[in-house]
Formats: sequence, structure tokens, C-alpha cells
Amino acid sequence: MPWKDGYTISDERSLSDPDVRWPGDHRCCFSITVDLSVASGPEGITAADFTSPKTQFGLRDGFDRVKDALDRFGLKATFATPAVMARVQAHALRVLIQEGHEIAAEGFRHEDVSAMAREDETERIALTTAVLSDITGRRPDGWFSLPRQGDQFAGGTISPHTMDLLIDAGYEYFGNGLADDIPHHWVTDAATRRSILTMPYYYHYDDQFFLLFPSKGTGLEHADSLFRNWRAEFAAQYRRGRHFHMTLHPYAVGFGHRVRLLETFLAEVSHHTGVWNVPAREVIAHWRHLNPTPTLEPSIWRDYPGSLS
Amino acid sequence: MTSVLEQELSALTSVARRYDARHRRIPRVAWPDGMRMAVNFTADFDAMLLRRLLNETPMQLAKGEFGGRVGIWRLIALFDSHDIKATIFTPGRIRELYPEALRAVHASGHEIADHMWEHRVPRDMQLELDHLQKTGAALASITGRKPVGTRSDHSLSLLRQEGFIYTSHDCADHLPYYLRDTDGENEMLNLPFHYAIDDAMFYSFAWLGSGNAAQRITDTDRVLEMWWEAFLQQYHAGGYLNVCVHPFVSGRAQRIDMLDRLITRMKTMPGVWMPTCESVARHCLAVHP
Repeated sequence: MPWKDGYTISDERSLSDPDVRWPGDHRCCFSITVDLSVASGPEGITAADFTSPKTQFGLRDGFDRVKDALDRFGLKATFATPAVMARVQAHALRVLIQEGHEIAAEGFRHEDVSAMAREDETERIALTTAVLSDITGRRPDGWFSLPRQGDQFAGGTISPHTMDLLIDAGYEYFGNGLADDIPHHWVTDAATRRSILTMPYYYHYDDQFFLLFPSKGTGLEHADSLFRNWRAEFAAQYRRGRHFHMTLHPYAVGFGHRVRLLETFLAEVSHHTGVWNVPAREVIAHWRHLNPTPTLEPSIWRDYPGSLS
Repeated sequence: MTSVLEQELSALTSVARRYDARHRRIPRVAWPDGMRMAVNFTADFDAMLLRRLLNETPMQLAKGEFGGRVGIWRLIALFDSHDIKATIFTPGRIRELYPEALRAVHASGHEIADHMWEHRVPRDMQLELDHLQKTGAALASITGRKPVGTRSDHSLSLLRQEGFIYTSHDCADHLPYYLRDTDGENEMLNLPFHYAIDDAMFYSFAWLGSGNAAQRITDTDRVLEMWWEAFLQQYHAGGYLNVCVHPFVSGRAQRIDMLDRLITRMKTMPGVWMPTCESVARHCLAVHP
């Protein structure tokens, strides 16, 4: 590392570009997360969220538009799904699975668990896993804690226990980490190398922060910026041979001019050779094969009077 | 009534005059032969330290960690590819988190300068001095000598005492200028950077405590055009531009590409001097003491 508890979650240096390898002739990985949560803030999905035209749009018209766009370019995505959304969208999830997409978990009702008691969080992970398994016919491999528009920060929220509990619950990966732009290990205990593989996430490629953010009526509509971010980052990562990921919300990107920008972008991607698009769990399986354990240097941190530990 | 208003006028006027008197402008900098302007590329390499100091969330820390694991390395490669010597402002604590990256910064000939110990300036002067000295020692363990520049609110008296020759903080003038403390003492050269030429303003969510409705996260095309215009304005004025980036922000691949385009464009103009802050500071101190 040098490792430092409470400061770092992974090794000191990411893989350099030539060391990032994808299967076969593929030179760049392209992963898509579709966030099925309709939570507006840290409290998670509420009854009010389910009685809003915005949600209705996301569940029906917007969902269809996003799926059409993926289908048109033969792309496979990971759908991050809170337990309550799995119940509401059960039929749609089964169709998605038949078509080769992945269903991953995204909390019980996509609530902020930062301050939740460990027992409570354990129970919610178990119940969410059971609900998703029941509806989809297989245990979810991945767990997401994506941000909501009403959150204080744009990275998603976890508790001090979340990663440990996900490892205990048998999860293969965590869906949204910001410490790298390729998959990486999230270490929970440096001594034992206990860790969970983590997919990269960055809010500049997440539609919700550019489309009527932070809420409708604000007029802060920057679909053009979102589009330029996707294009520029994809081009840069393709050239480096790394990984581009994007996060989509059907209620947001599924509308009008936005879905046209999405399709324009996906068409551009489809003109590139060697782009590896698979659901996150396949990316993670590949990564685990190549990079099974994190490499950490022992901490050289010292405690001093008058300094934070 | 009139006399009360008169008192208000004179009180405010004297505040303005006192503040003004703490600044000494350099009306026009005579740059080295053949150079018509100077550009400093500066990186504030605090990774997750400020996020930690503010007790932000694990995801916010991870966002900062990107700067140490990925971003700083890309910035080094970018500056090296253009043969630019940059200045990396670094909290002392980074020495205990990313020593390899700091050694690489130094090996490439970039300047490593002070950015506080753990990204704060203690109110207590004794502790402040302690932090300043600890950072000096930590950075010297990489470079072999104490830093001479800082980006911080450290007391000018302590900075002078510790051998600092410049600070690079805020922007009361386009050009480098001299700044004195509230007692009108301890003059120090400031190499100004403007918040409009700071990557975090445009790319970092919730920067400086800004609320959700105030977010203006944007794309590289827009920032490139803005910064290019700022550069051109100073190029024609024969002036100075300090470009402030953060490894955890500008280390993202598309932003490295954008900086690459910006630098490539700047280099098409004759007479652009792109050295370290220390070089600019020593030049100003020598030519405009």
C-alpha cells in the first residue's frame, strides 16, 4: 500500500494500462448498470416515490426505451434492483434474465445504511438476497449502493459493516467503487487480505446528475454535458485499453432527447472493434481469474500528538 | 445623522485602505528572454486527506483514493510527455500514504511543495509550527531539501521563519504579487491561482460544501474552451496563469486527454514559459524584488 485503515481501501497503485487485459482480442471493457431504484433520497424508496408520474414513466415507457436502446445494439447490462423493485418489476426481471442481462441487488429499498445497526443491516441483506433469488431463480452475485439524487454526495452510501456483511453473505462483487476506473479489490482487513472485488463507478457517467438534477422543476438539464462526458471518457479509456462504465436510470435517460443521445453514443461505441460488453458478474469472474488477491504494503503511518489518527 | 454616516464612510474606507496596503503589485513582469508569459501547472495532491478531515463518507474517501492510486501517475506521465516541470502541493501525510508516487514526482524533476500536514492549519501557533516542520521533514525525506513553496493559509511569519519564498493561494491580481500579513509585516510573494482555473470547481460534486442545487459538474470540452480563453487573455497581456488540478479529479482519463489538448495548444504559441512555481518565484524575486 502502504495500507492505512480508515483512509484507503485498496493497494497503493492501480494496474498500469498495459497490465489491464481483457479476454481474447478485446481491448476495452464496456459495462452498463441500469439502476431500477426510484428512491429520491437517503430514506430509500417510499410510498410517495411509487405514486409519482416520474416513477410511472421509469417503470413503463422509460424502461422500454432503455431496453430498446440496449437491444438495438445487442448490449447486455446489469440491473441494480432493490428488493421492493424486484417485487414490483418481477415479470420484467424474468424477461431480462432470459435475454442475458444480469440482476444484482441494490438494498432492501435502496435506503442509506450508513448509521444502521449491524444486525438490522444483516437482516436486510439476507431478506433482499432471498427476495431476488426467489424471483430470478438464482442468487444475485453483485450488490450495489448507488447514489440517489437527494444524497449529500454522489458516490452512494454504505455503513462501516457493509463490505464485511456482503462477503459473509457470499456476494462476489460490490457494484460501485470510486477508487479506480477498472475493477479492484476493496479490502476490509489488511492483515488477512479479506476483500471483495469492486466494479468502478463515477458520477460523471451517471445520467441522474445531469438530467433535471437534483429534481424536476430546477431546470438544471445538462444532457449535452452528460453525452460529452460519455464520449470523451469512452474514447480515452478505449485508447488506454481499460474500462468504460455508465449508469442509467430509465426515468431519466429514457425520455425524448436524452434517449436519442444515448442511442447516438451507443452507436459510436458499436463502431469500435474489440469492445467487451458483458454483465458485471462476467467482468468480475474474469478479473478474479487474473487478479485473485490484492497486493498491500504494510502501513508506515505513525500517530503524532496534534494529528488525526 | 450625517456624522454617523460619515463615520461609516471613513471606517469602511480605512478597512479598504488597510487591506489594499497589504498588497504590493508588480505592474508588469519582465519574463526571461524570449518568454512572453509564464504558465504554472500545479496539482494539489491530498488524495482523501481532506475528505477524511471533514469526516465524509467511505465513498468520498474512495473518490479521493483514486488520486493516489491512479491520478497522480497519469499527471506525472502527462507533464513528462510535454517536458513541463509542474509543482505538486502535497500534505506531509501523503508521504505515509503514497511514497512511491512522491518519489516518481521528484525523479521526473517536478517540484514538491507544502500543502499543510493533514490539510488544515491549526489555530494554535505552536501546533501550526509543528505541522509546518513535520511536513517540511516529510517532503525533504523524498527530495533531500525542505520545500520553499506552499499552498495554504499558514502564517506568513512562520513561513518566512521556515525558509519559504512563496505561497500560491487565491487571486488578488493576475500577476504574481507581494502580500503582507494583518500586521503589515512578513511580506511574501504570492503566485495567484483563480478558482475558475481549478478543476474541482467543474468536476467535483459537493465541492467546498456546495449543495445539490448548486452543482455545476460539467464536461471537458466546456472547461477546455474556458481555460484556453483565460490563457489567451494573459498571453496577449504578457502575464501569468496558474492551472490548479487535483489528481483525484483531473486524473480521470478524459481529463488527462483534455489537459493534453490544452498544453498542446499552448505550446503552439511562441514564448510560453512552463517551469515550476519555484522557478517563477525565484525569477520574480530576482527581477522584481
